[in-house]
Amino acid sequence: MNTRELLRYAILALPFLLLAVFLLYPVFIVTLQGFFTGTPFQEVITTPTIQFTILFTFNQAVLSTFMAVFIGLPGAFLIARLRFRGKSLVKAMMIVPFVLPPIVVVVGFLQMFGPNGVIDSILMWIQGSSTSVFNLATGVPGIILAHTFYNVPLVLLMVSASLERLNPEIEESAEILGARPLQRLHRIALPHIMPSILASAVLTFMFCFMSFPIILAFGQGTYMTIEAQIWNAFRVFDYGQASSLTFIQIIITLSLAYVYIKLGRQETNAGPTASIKTTSFNRYGVIERILILGYLVLIVILVLGPIVTIARASVFDPIAQRYTLEGFVNLFSIGSQGGLRYFINSLFYAGLATIFAVILGIPLAIAMRSRSKTIPTLASAMILLPLGISSITVAYGLVLAVAVPTGLVTNPWPIIVVAQTIIGLPFSARAIEIAMSKIDPALMEQADSLGASRIQRLLFVELPLLAPGILVGGVFAFAMAIGEMSATLFIALPQNYTLAVAIYDYLAVRAFVEAGAAALILVVVCVVAFLVMERISEGSTGGAL
Amino acid sequence: MLACTPLGGEKMTEYPVRRDPRTIIAVVSICVILVVAAYAAITWWRPRFVVYTYSSFLDWGDEGADVVLERAFAPFEEKYGIDVEIILLEVDANGIISKLVAEAANPVADVVIGIDNILILQEAAKSVLEPYTSPSLSLINETFVELLDQDHYLTPFDFGLVTLIYSMNTINTTTHPQLGNLTFADLAEAELASALVTENPHFSSPGLSFLLSQIAVYEKLLSQDWTNWWEDVKDDIDVQEGWSEAWSVWSSDPNKHLLVSYGTDPAYSANYLGTAPDTAVAPFYYNEQYWAWMQVEGVGLVKNGPNPELGRAFIDYCLNATVQTEIPLNQWMFPVRTDLTLPSAYQYAIHPDEVSVLNQLLSSTEISENLSDWLTLWDTTRTP
Repeated sequence: MNTRELLRYAILALPFLLLAVFLLYPVFIVTLQGFFTGTPFQEVITTPTIQFTILFTFNQAVLSTFMAVFIGLPGAFLIARLRFRGKSLVKAMMIVPFVLPPIVVVVGFLQMFGPNGVIDSILMWIQGSSTSVFNLATGVPGIILAHTFYNVPLVLLMVSASLERLNPEIEESAEILGARPLQRLHRIALPHIMPSILASAVLTFMFCFMSFPIILAFGQGTYMTIEAQIWNAFRVFDYGQASSLTFIQIIITLSLAYVYIKLGRQETNAGPTASIKTTSFNRYGVIERILILGYLVLIVILVLGPIVTIARASVFDPIAQRYTLEGFVNLFSIGSQGGLRYFINSLFYAGLATIFAVILGIPLAIAMRSRSKTIPTLASAMILLPLGISSITVAYGLVLAVAVPTGLVTNPWPIIVVAQTIIGLPFSARAIEIAMSKIDPALMEQADSLGASRIQRLLFVELPLLAPGILVGGVFAFAMAIGEMSATLFIALPQNYTLAVAIYDYLAVRAFVEAGAAALILVVVCVVAFLVMERISEGSTGGAL
Repeated sequence: MLACTPLGGEKMTEYPVRRDPRTIIAVVSICVILVVAAYAAITWWRPRFVVYTYSSFLDWGDEGADVVLERAFAPFEEKYGIDVEIILLEVDANGIISKLVAEAANPVADVVIGIDNILILQEAAKSVLEPYTSPSLSLINETFVELLDQDHYLTPFDFGLVTLIYSMNTINTTTHPQLGNLTFADLAEAELASALVTENPHFSSPGLSFLLSQIAVYEKLLSQDWTNWWEDVKDDIDVQEGWSEAWSVWSSDPNKHLLVSYGTDPAYSANYLGTAPDTAVAPFYYNEQYWAWMQVEGVGLVKNGPNPELGRAFIDYCLNATVQTEIPLNQWMFPVRTDLTLPSAYQYAIHPDEVSVLNQLLSSTEISENLSDWLTLWDTTRTP
């Protein structure tokens, strides 16, 4: 093996090594320590409250997934089959909820569905009541609705993409052969999109299963996911409980992740078809039109509502019932309590995390496309791990295994950057991998035959071709990092708080306008990031999911 | 952004400029390194003397914590020529212990302020502290040491009575006579139960004090199963995560009238309004006596901390009048130096000699043996 090859392997090995040091080792240490020193596993899982939590985690995830698929499916058909203006824009916008931080969504939900929110205000006005009459932004309904909000766009995007790949000739042949619409749906469309429905359902289930900020905000301390209970266990130093729960969670999420990858492989076998048959709105019957319009209203209220009303949340104080700019004044005030520090922290940490996520994402993506048998599997597993492991456990592991020995606990910002990098990495690696798969291998061969060295080929051919993919990956990683709350909340000292953590803090003491203003800023940052991404990738961002 | 200008539409005679990505990479790296270096330099950790405490420490006065902390601890800094860094952790006392446990292998804190007489009964709390018998203990009444920790892991710092408070603008003893001699049975009635806000005993010391008050009354005074009361109020009571959350709900929600808080709140209210207070206390009334839970907060030396000698000196210093006089108007607790004159607003606070303390009903051994079972049982009553 010559030095060049050695260097190549070293670069490929770098992300694996770093993930081993900053993810595997800390999580392993923490889990093991809790197992041997804390409450025994047996005792943890026989506690009634824990059993309730595990059961609730499952049930809410199942219900949320069902809701998301149920509401998302008609939309997927509409997006694929209905011809209308601005369709590509609507499709592009669908990705926005996905990049919004959960705690921001909480703010939007309170404003849309909560007491003195938009719907409540309208109902109060109709009934002439002076007190709040409607509140869906709390308890189980709040949790399920927020999860549905998050995942309807996911189902919509994944399933409609699959529908568009369905060769229209098959359906036409069926029609000519006398198949009725329902038969065609049942025999042709459904079997074709089934893998994508399942894949989106598994992904939705996994996100809901690991849900944290939404649970903290709406669960009232009684309805908790395993993730929230792990956070509680760490806070009351019940490390045994934390370890047992982490263990249960990892087993479940990794199995789900495995299923998801399997489903993804199946799906890619279908070839892309651009000639999807679409119908314009006017060609539908009256009942169908009413149904379509009703569905659109539902989507606007459920998905668009919470995003748009964040603007109202930033200026309307529901306690004093008045409009105020105090939220923004606080956001841009300097000093130990001012929001400007949180804003700077957010940008700084997320910016650094993005750079690292991209730098590590490139070799990971290369590894995923390697011709060897084991390396791609290993790489896929590595990028799935951050999705499947509780970020609270990761955070605690990082504190225990990295921050304490190095004395970083008094100034833990590098640890926050590490945690945010880990959380953004799956998204950057995936986006870069997709961009790589689109590179024409002939170009590489031409470069080689024209005598380009390996480094020249990388710098002048590969990187420029990959640049859009890298940027998309970077934007995704940035959105994930800037919205990250759980790990940051765990690691940060008050001077390290980010906007996402500050929003949680503001909400806790009912400083609603401060929370609203901070949330609006995050929405603006994420939407701008998304627009940049859209421009670069020309509408193919959805693929990164 | 890199050299990928599309050819189509451009003049075909010109080739796209082949920019060297290395310059871009170099420029980006230099910018990043500069920004990181600047941020690191600003936040760089200089070795100091570190005190951990909770976020609201001495922060409830007119001047704010920055001014008060400076005034209270500047003489100590001057005497020993060090910087005292008081790290205000955005958590309750439990969170501080949890942080100290995590850092036990390489502690950075020297002293911790704010662990109370219930928290210290947990093994985890003792495991991160080093016992120290301060000579300054001669300045204070011995009962505080007995109430807080006879093993001297902690030195008493301040104390307060945990009780129920209500806003007189919304309810009072005329509309609700039972507030004058309140029992838990009164509180379990739907009207009062749905107006009550308390804190989660897992995470909040007043919340835990309230739970132990209720257990003491039911198990010791009434000889009843304490969990019954929690089952009765299950659907009505509002359990917030911590005191700040509970306070903001109580003060902003028009349906919440009662709050588990401290007996000094009327004094706070009087001081804030400049008139008679609009907040009143409703201590529990059983066997012709008023009862309240006494919370004693202490300051402790962190085990294996970097500066143990300074730590001990700091603990001695905390009982000086310089520090103790700041407590009433900024912490709204009673200083353990009972020889100091209290501000006039404190005439509205309820004083320890006006109530029997519920702590006497539960021995510290009993609490430490049963606490985790009680909390598990409490969780069970809260499970829907």
